Formats: sequence, C-alpha cells, structure tokens
Amino acid sequence: MSDESLDPRLEQPGASDESLLAAHEHALAAKPATDAHYKMLPLVLLFVFSGLIFFAGTYLNRYSGRYHADIFNENARPTAPGAAAKIDPLVLGKKSYEQVCQTCHMPTGIGVEGVYPPLAGSEWVQGTPERVIRIVVFGLKGKVSVEGKEFGAAAMPVIGKVTGSGYNWSDDRIAAVLTYVRQEWGNKAGAITPEQVTAIHTKEGDRKEWSADELEKIH
Amino acid sequence: MKNGLVFFFGLFAALLLSWAGIVFGSHRQLGHLAPLFDENENKAFPERLPGVAAQGQLVYDDLGCAVCHTQQVRRPDFGSDKARGWGDRQSVARDYIYETRVQLGDSRLGPDLANVGARKPAYDADDLAKLLYAGSGAMPAYKFLFERHSIAGRQPSDYALNLHGTLAPPAGEEIVPTPRAHALVAYLLSLNHPYEYPEARPVEPAAEKKEGEKK
Amino acid sequence: MSTAPQAEVSEIDASARWPLSLLLASALLWLLVSGALALANLAQTLSPGLLAECAALSYGRMHALQESALVYGWIANAGFAVALWILGRLGGSPLRSLNWVVVGTLFWNFAVTLGLIGIMFGQGTSIPFLHLPRYVQPLLLVAFAAIATPGVLAWIGRSRPTTFAAQWYAVAALFLFPWLFSAAQVMLLWAPVRGVLQAVAAGWFAQGAWTLWIAPLSLAAAYYLVPKITGRVIPSYDFSALSFWTLLVVGGWTGGRHLVGGPVPVWVPSMAIVSCVLLTFHYIVTALNLRGAFGQCSTALKFVAFGLAAYVIGGFTDAITATRSIAQVTQFTWFSQAQTQLALTGAFSMIVFGAIYFLVPRLANRPWPSTPLIRAHYAAAVLGTLGLVLSLAVAGIVEGRELGDAAIPFADIAAHTRVWLEIAAASQALLLVGNAVLAFHFARLLAARPVVTATSLFRPPPTMEASVS
Repeated sequence: MSDESLDPRLEQPGASDESLLAAHEHALAAKPATDAHYKMLPLVLLFVFSGLIFFAGTYLNRYSGRYHADIFNENARPTAPGAAAKIDPLVLGKKSYEQVCQTCHMPTGIGVEGVYPPLAGSEWVQGTPERVIRIVVFGLKGKVSVEGKEFGAAAMPVIGKVTGSGYNWSDDRIAAVLTYVRQEWGNKAGAITPEQVTAIHTKEGDRKEWSADELEKIH
Repeated sequence: MKNGLVFFFGLFAALLLSWAGIVFGSHRQLGHLAPLFDENENKAFPERLPGVAAQGQLVYDDLGCAVCHTQQVRRPDFGSDKARGWGDRQSVARDYIYETRVQLGDSRLGPDLANVGARKPAYDADDLAKLLYAGSGAMPAYKFLFERHSIAGRQPSDYALNLHGTLAPPAGEEIVPTPRAHALVAYLLSLNHPYEYPEARPVEPAAEKKEGEKK
Repeated sequence: MSTAPQAEVSEIDASARWPLSLLLASALLWLLVSGALALANLAQTLSPGLLAECAALSYGRMHALQESALVYGWIANAGFAVALWILGRLGGSPLRSLNWVVVGTLFWNFAVTLGLIGIMFGQGTSIPFLHLPRYVQPLLLVAFAAIATPGVLAWIGRSRPTTFAAQWYAVAALFLFPWLFSAAQVMLLWAPVRGVLQAVAAGWFAQGAWTLWIAPLSLAAAYYLVPKITGRVIPSYDFSALSFWTLLVVGGWTGGRHLVGGPVPVWVPSMAIVSCVLLTFHYIVTALNLRGAFGQCSTALKFVAFGLAAYVIGGFTDAITATRSIAQVTQFTWFSQAQTQLALTGAFSMIVFGAIYFLVPRLANRPWPSTPLIRAHYAAAVLGTLGLVLSLAVAGIVEGRELGDAAIPFADIAAHTRVWLEIAAASQALLLVGNAVLAFHFARLLAARPVVTATSLFRPPPTMEASVS
C-alpha cells in the first residue's frame, strides 16, 4: 500500500523497471492450475466479445445496404434494375416543344402563313398516329396541304434518331412532344406512347424524308 | 510480441486493413463516378461550376465556412433538413464529383448550404452581400470582404451595397464588394442540386409491401 | 549518479535530459497557445463581433488554429516526450541518436508555427485535423521520423527479449502515425481523391489519428505508470495483448462515424458504427487492466485515474452516439466537440500530466519545487475538464433537439445554448490558468538551483512481486 506521507513533488517508485518487466513476463507465462475450476473472467470476456460480434453481424446484415455503391438510404429495398424515373409526357413534351418546335410552329401553334403549317386544329396532328409519327421521326419534304392552305416553302427537319438528323431525339421524347401537341391549343386527340413510335421507327428503318403523297397512302 | 519484424508487420497490416476496407473500398465504388446524362433534359448532371463560382469555392474554403455550415442534406425522414427547406432529397456522392475541395462540414451552427441557391424565397446577390457585410445573429460580419471608398463626383458603383441605419456608410461614401466577395456570392448562388438521381430517389413504402406479399 | 540497474535515476535519464526537456517545454508552450486560441474561439461564438474585422483571426481560421495547435503542438510534443522516455527506460539502455530528436523537435515546431501563420493567411486546407497548409506537411513527416527513430531503435535494441504493454503502445504510435499521415497527405492534398471520397479519407485519418496515435500514446503512459507507482502487477494482464490488437485492428474502421446519413453509401457509416461498438471490448479490458489507478493517494495516479475514466467513458459514449438514432440528434452539434474534448483534453492530457509529474523529477534529477502549484493545477484541470466536456455535451443535446424541430430558427437555438457555452468558455479559461501554473512550475524547476538532487530522495525501488492477481 502507498505511504502516508506522499509528496507530490517527487513520486516514489513502487517497483524498479527491471522487476516490472520481469513480473509481467512471469504473469504471461505462468499457468496456474491451482484448482479445477474455470476462471470467471475469461468466460465473461468471451461472452461479452461474442455478444459484440453478434450485434455487429446483425447490424451489418440489416443496415449495410448490401455494400452497394448506390444505396445511400439504409431503409432502401432493392429496386428493379434500370428503373428509370417516370417523366410526365406533358411536362417533357412542352419543354421539348419550347426548345425546338416553337421557333417555326410558334408558341401558339399557329405557324407562319405559307411557310410553316399550323398545329392548332391541324387534321394531320389530330389524325391517325401513323402519319404524324412519321412526320416527326423522319421529316417531311415538299408541298403539304393543312386546313385548306398550302405549305411547302420549308421542309420539316428530321427529328428522330435517323441518319442525317440534327436532333436525334429518343422515341420517348418524340412520343411526349406528340402527346403534348395533340392536346394543346384546342386539339383533342389521344396520347401517343413510346411503343407506338418505336414500332413505326423500327418498321420504316432508316429512310429519308416523307412526302405528303406518300403519307396520304398510309392510314 | 517477441519477434520484432512480425510485430511491425502486424502493425502495418492492421493499418492497411482499415485503409483497404474503407478508403480503397469506397474508392473502387465511387472513384470513377461519372455525371449522369439525362435524355429528357439533354444534359449531364451535376453541372460544373461557372468560373467565378469556382473561385468563390476557394474563398469559402480559406475562410473556413465549413466550420459552421454543412453542405450535405440528409434524407427527409432523418432530421429536419427537408422541413427547413434545405433540400428535397438526400445529397448523394454524385453531387460532389466536380468539387475540388469537398466542404461537407460537420457542424451546423448555421444552416446547411448545399442548396442555398434554390431557397424559397430566393436569395439574390444583394441579399447575400449584405448578409456577409453585416452578419446576422451568430454569424460574424465579414467586413474585410468589402471596400469602403468615397464616391467623389463619379457615378455610384452598380455593386454598392444598399445599406440603411447604423450600417450605412457616411454620405459620399459607398461600400463595394471586393472580387473575393463577388466570387463567394456567385459560388453560394450556384449551390443547387435539384436533379433527382436514381440513387437519391426516396424509398416508397408501398414497394415494401409488395415485396412482403411476394415473399 | 548510479548506473546500477536497480537505481531509479540512471544514465538513461541523464542522457535524455535536454532533448526531452526541450520537447516538454515546447509541449507546454503549445498547450498555453492552444488554450488561449480555444478560449478566443469560444469567445467568438458568444460574441461574433470579436476579432471579426481581422481576416487572419476570423472564426473559421481561429478554429483551425486552435485545433492544429492542440494536436500538432501540445499532443505531438508531449506524446513524443512521454513515449521516448518510456521506451528508453523499459529498453534498458540510453536512447541513441538523441541529437536527431533535438533537430526533429526544432523542425517540427518550426513547421507547426509556419503552418499556423499560413492558416492565418488563408492557406489552410479546411480538412478536419489536417488543417495545416500543404507545404508544411512533408516537413512534419520528416521531423516526425527524426524524433521517432530513437524510440523505435530503443525497442529493437532492448535488453530483454519480451516486452511490456507500455512498449507495444508506444511503438505502435510512433510507427503507425507516419504511414497514416503520409497516406492522408497523398489522398487529400497531393493527388486528391474525388468528391465525397475526400470526406471518407479525412474521416479515416481523423479517427486513425485518435485510435492509432493519440490513444496508444496515452495508454503507453498509463500502462507504465500504474504498475510502476502501485508496485503491483497489472491484473488480467494476459488480456492486454487482445485489447491492444483490438484497438489497432478495429480502430481504423471507425473512420466513417461522422458520415451517418451523409452522401456516402450506407455501408461506410454502418461499418464505423459496428467498429465503435466492437471497440468497447478494448475499453472494457483497458479498464480491467488499469483499475489499480483508482483510489490511490499518488497525485500522478490521480491524474491518470481521471484520464482513464475519461478514456473509457469516451469510448462508450462514442459507441452509443455513433448509432443512427442518436447520431440523428447529436450529429452536427456541440456534442461532437464535447467528445473530441473528452478524448484530447480529458483522456490524453490528464494521463500525460500524470506522466509529466512523474517523469520530470527523474529526467531533470530535481524534485518539483512546490506542492501547492501541483494541487492547484490538479484542481483546475479536473474542474475545467469536467466543466468543458459536460457543458458542451449539454449544449450539443439542446442544439440537436432544437435543430430537429424545423420551426425553431437558428437565433433561438443560439440563445438556448448560450448559457452552456458561457460555462464552457469559463471552463476553458480555468484550464488555461491551470496549464499556465504547470508551465510556470516547469520553468521554475528547470531554472532553480536545487539543494538536493532527486537521486538522493528516491527510495530504492522495491522488486515487484510476480504474483498473478
């Protein structure tokens, strides 16, 4: 036990360094077999350690997000691979129209007399999907009659993913813009799905612009 | 511990193990993270900072703003981040790939700044400049980011701060932001991560139920 | 001066006197500087106008200054001194290459000073625990190598083949830090990793600096002082090796613990949480081993006992607050600062103060001049540490709960935490006063012309009984 008169200005050693090292060396080496009982401490520590490992395993099982690089929320459940965000076609369509189409067809869809056909009230737009999809995907060249008036000064450019296109829009985007146009400015035609666009695109393959006569043969 | 060489090897292995696991492991996963090209928007996200804003990030860095402000939004059901208008979705790794010095921060003595450019009502350059000049509550005033000089017969500067009361300079003088203040404000206004990456999408509880039924 | 192996003061201490005294003197100076800077920083929190006009001392830079001065100034120098002294004593022969220690110390402190000036001029890196500017960090690495080499040589050239826990911890700290530090420098400063990986690497470094460098230095001192002063073998000593390796192997994995809910894949914080919990095994065994420190009359052991209590409590607090439900509240608050202070000021500093009171009379061969100064320092250190840690913890909890309620504006949060921060500032001031007392006392010891040398005052050290308790 420590001395009564402990002077904090000079801490007395309780042991020499040599004996400290020797005693601890001996403590590690000694194997007391004094009685046949297990010593409690190693057992207790073993249980504690096992308990901690059990907690660790359970926690990681639940909260590790399968060590996936994409999982930032530990409550996430596995989603189908490639599940893309659903975009509202009217939102995308309107944005696409404003980016590209409205320069010619005007924000109000009335076009420019003699040059660009109107879309508002157009029979081509509200008609069968077969025609209007082909116009947008592959482009239109030559004279065309819309709402009784003739247009032909400018060609409709190639918008879809076709050779020579300056736009290369995906089928999803074309379907969206057509859906938008077909219900805007008083137009009352149904939506167009990306599958419809893809079907026609695949069927027609890679071809140059349509003419109005060719389109009128399609129904 | 007898064998010296084995001991040192063991020490090194212990360090290497944690480095390999955490740092190298996450580097394998995130080191080549690329921007996501969105067909619908026709551009890639995240977008790079414009030049002045990139300089502003250096100002943010050297003033140590990260000591009081974080730049990481937690998901809506983990704290009040969304309720305070700091962001609609959790910040993900892709948001930071173009940052030269990521300033995640670890203390919120002030609000989170990850989407400060998109606050409602929106801050404009004037508001932020005034905030930096005057401070607010616990935020100190950064007057050294501004210059005070006399107008002296020319037109007042377009960038002069519109100050009233005790903060206003004496008549005939104006307070103008230094280039550092301009850059910092441009940086703050550029902080906005609206794009919803697939990995940042909120978890749908309905999907969970379906899983349970399937099982 | 006796060179007999059983004498308490020998050639080992004599040869190391001036190099280690230089380290200790630098350490104490940095302790005062970092304490003053920390006090100023807390004062700036309470009064934002303080020093706000001065770009060099604005809040963000002041925070970087005080942290760097604390870690690279006080902790590094004091840790070196204690580790070298213990390795020399237990190695059984005088330390070699001590001139390198002197050169290293001068360069280390020069680099830290240059670094602090650099931070004031905005060249800090803004990485937690790695704030010093890029250009001083390689110099620090080289200086570290110069200082650490005698310690590692003392281990390799030791007179006894088997070793003691204090030596393992000291060598581990001296050997691992350069690898940790250089890896962090490369990943964060020279060839920076991309995006959030910087945060992951910075977290790995910060946690590594604690578990692989600072904590082993504290434990080296504790493991030496407790059996040395009490004269009894460490109980359950056979588990100390397990505890040692647990700290080293598991400790490095706690790097992601401040990234809970952050922009990293969830496995990173999950691994960190699990590691913090597994690490409690190390704290349990350390407490088991070193319980002899408690209830002793020796002042040095009183310091060590307080430090140990802080260490073990800190370990359990880390494990509890790392879990997601608690981290959600305490994460970005003063509570993390409280945990850092508990570790650095509570655990490391108190244990090292005990070591300093023990080793300086042996090193300088003179007793401390004054008992009241020692008692004053003890009282100030205990009260200051308790006040600081507890007030920051409460401030953190209050702040965390109010942050979680979106309706409470930041001005209100600041008002509610203000009183706790005032108590923290007062505690910081008290700590500074206590540390000033220690520094003054040390200076007095070195300057005074002693009437009696310590050698004659030491009683011959008894032989430790090799019983297994």
